[in-house]
Amino acid sequence: MLRRLLLTALLLTTAACGGVGSGGTTGTIEYWLWDSSQQPGYQKCADAFQRQNPGLRIHISQYGWDDYWSKLTASFIADTAPDVFTDQLAKFPQFVDLQVLRPLDDLGPTSDIKDSDYQEGLAELWKGKDGKRYGAPKDWDTIAVFYDTAAVRAAGIDPATLDELTWNPRDGGTFERTIAHLTIDQNGVRGDEPGFDRTRVKTYGLAANGGGGDNWGQTQWSAFTGSAGWQATDKNPWGARFNLDDPVVQDTLNWYFGLVRKGYMASFAAIGGRNAITPDTQIQSGIAAMGLSGSWTISSFTKLTDAAGRKLDIGVAPTPIGPIGKRASMFNGLADSITTFSKQPENAAKWVKFLSGEQCQNIIGESGVVFPARPAGTELAIRYNEKERGLDVSAFTDHIRNRTTFPLPVTSNAADVTALMTPALEAIFLGEAPAASLTRLNAQLNQLFEVAG
Amino acid sequence: MATVTAPAASDARQTGPKPPPKPRFGVGRALGWAFMILVMIVSLFPFYWILRTALSDNNALYAGGDSLLPVQFSWGGFERVFGIQTGQEAIDAGGAGQPIAFWRYLLNSVLVATMVTAGQVFFSAMAAYAFARLRWRHREQVFAVFLAGLMIPAIFTLLPNFVLIKELGLVDTVLGIALPSMLMTPFAVFFLRQFFLGISREVEEAAMVEGASKTRIFFRLILPISAAPISTLSILTYITSWNEYFWPLMVSYTDRSRVLTVALGVFKSQKPQAGPDWAGLMAATLVAALPMLLLFLVFARRIVNSIGFSGIK
Repeated sequence: MLRRLLLTALLLTTAACGGVGSGGTTGTIEYWLWDSSQQPGYQKCADAFQRQNPGLRIHISQYGWDDYWSKLTASFIADTAPDVFTDQLAKFPQFVDLQVLRPLDDLGPTSDIKDSDYQEGLAELWKGKDGKRYGAPKDWDTIAVFYDTAAVRAAGIDPATLDELTWNPRDGGTFERTIAHLTIDQNGVRGDEPGFDRTRVKTYGLAANGGGGDNWGQTQWSAFTGSAGWQATDKNPWGARFNLDDPVVQDTLNWYFGLVRKGYMASFAAIGGRNAITPDTQIQSGIAAMGLSGSWTISSFTKLTDAAGRKLDIGVAPTPIGPIGKRASMFNGLADSITTFSKQPENAAKWVKFLSGEQCQNIIGESGVVFPARPAGTELAIRYNEKERGLDVSAFTDHIRNRTTFPLPVTSNAADVTALMTPALEAIFLGEAPAASLTRLNAQLNQLFEVAG
Repeated sequence: MATVTAPAASDARQTGPKPPPKPRFGVGRALGWAFMILVMIVSLFPFYWILRTALSDNNALYAGGDSLLPVQFSWGGFERVFGIQTGQEAIDAGGAGQPIAFWRYLLNSVLVATMVTAGQVFFSAMAAYAFARLRWRHREQVFAVFLAGLMIPAIFTLLPNFVLIKELGLVDTVLGIALPSMLMTPFAVFFLRQFFLGISREVEEAAMVEGASKTRIFFRLILPISAAPISTLSILTYITSWNEYFWPLMVSYTDRSRVLTVALGVFKSQKPQAGPDWAGLMAATLVAALPMLLLFLVFARRIVNSIGFSGIK
């Protein structure tokens, strides 16, 4: 028995070692991305690119968001990195620090990428402290409020009025009044009615989405801090002093996370703790009536159905107007970066040039998954949403038109910043610490930059 | 329950022509049964819930979160696992659009788990034999140092291992995934050594008097006597290796070396801030767990027996 087992093992080992080559063939560009819903669009781009460049092939690998970054980091260490990968602003500074990205200005095909070809302010975000370009913009995103139209109508609210909501840190303004009215406890009492039991809530007015410490509250509180006039760092990108000790941000966060204590926003426990369910599923399951989310989740929201399989009627409203009299949304985007490990940087640059060029961006716009970085591509995505989904997405695009965006804070030591911020903000979300505790976090962050530079 | 009642029945037969006393069905027994059934339901419910979620429509899942039956019954989850759905259909259902070569992943998983189990058990048995039955200078000290290896967290060895595999040119191969755990683990050596220590010296000495070499004793005597703990270790190793996730994720880059657990990751979080493909993930989990369940069904008795087995006295 044992001998047979050993023999089998030996045979299997030889078989496994057999037909295995070493690495990819020349002329194949390895391209990584994480969003599966974008893969078909980029496959179309790859097909078009291959037709124009018969000698080159594109191999696309997709890994889910959670695995993507650890696998990418390991691939840098092991020299198995892709030639080109989809990069994200929050992660990008760390890669610049690690010097694993190739400046696009130094490569022939990408040396002439112009800032002005893209939505205003987008391309500049992808330049390093040295002024060199490390990413070619592929898309952009802003934040808006998704809501369940049925729940809003059931509360006697005209969805059109959601476009005019205002908020302030003192009484929450019409925004807080709206989510209070959308909140319903187990007895059917609404949040703004007498006898409301905030400990036994059936439907929260606002979906929760964690503390937001890993991404500067992008889909959590950034629309509020932004419309209160707050800036995270002294300058952006590449700021080195932080403003978390500013009363503006602390008042805003006290109000925002205070919504949990009032029973208007889902708590850490209500959304499932560490493995929290996302705003789209909170709205679908009836836990929440509305929630803030990014434009890249439009397709997820519009696919939701009820238990009988009927499509949910989802609407989009802009983020509320804040104390400075304007709305605000964080402006973020993805770009394609070339790694220093690429054995064929010029070919990789050709592909990146194509990805950021008009043809591919229009293909992506027509797939309606994200807003492409080029204005023409954006228009195609807007039209797709109108025609195919019957959805007005101006809540996202108006931020661009009205210049009410502010960029995601890009800093060095990004991984350390995340490591310090995540628990601090989670503690505030959980109600274990007041927003005043951010003063200490601010000192820690400033110290980090003094030590690490 | 079966093991408790069986001997009682045979005892009754041996006592003679008297019919076996009918077991009284008192309150205590009823309570016992009720408790057992409750425990069974509690332990089987998660499996039912996996099945129920796997057979639901992913886009409708949260709308019927409290439903005991599948929400919008659909084979979609299983279709995605076996790669029957087209890319766009899969994406519309919240899944990944990339092609899924299920049978290839299954084969890779079987290859890796078999290689690891066969290699690890055999080499560890040899080491355990040396630590338990052979006499050499500083044996105990070497063993103590060796045991200290148990205390090193796997994350510390991850990068050195990775670089080594890379230098050997084994990245993205099935062998590269299997190799680090194929030679031995301190646990396997420790486990077998404890058992080998219990084998009586007389048997071994008798074999030596007959002129058997140490090698022959190992293969002809020690291994056959230890069939039970070796099969226990084999099953444990097989299951551990089958469930391994992080290392295969690091080493595998394409379908040719991707194993099932890593392929399951495809169904997990695809985009930040949007719900995962639970129906697909549960269907995939069920399909991936099936071989292990079968393994347990076949070998369960053997595992139980070997735990109580303590060698020849």
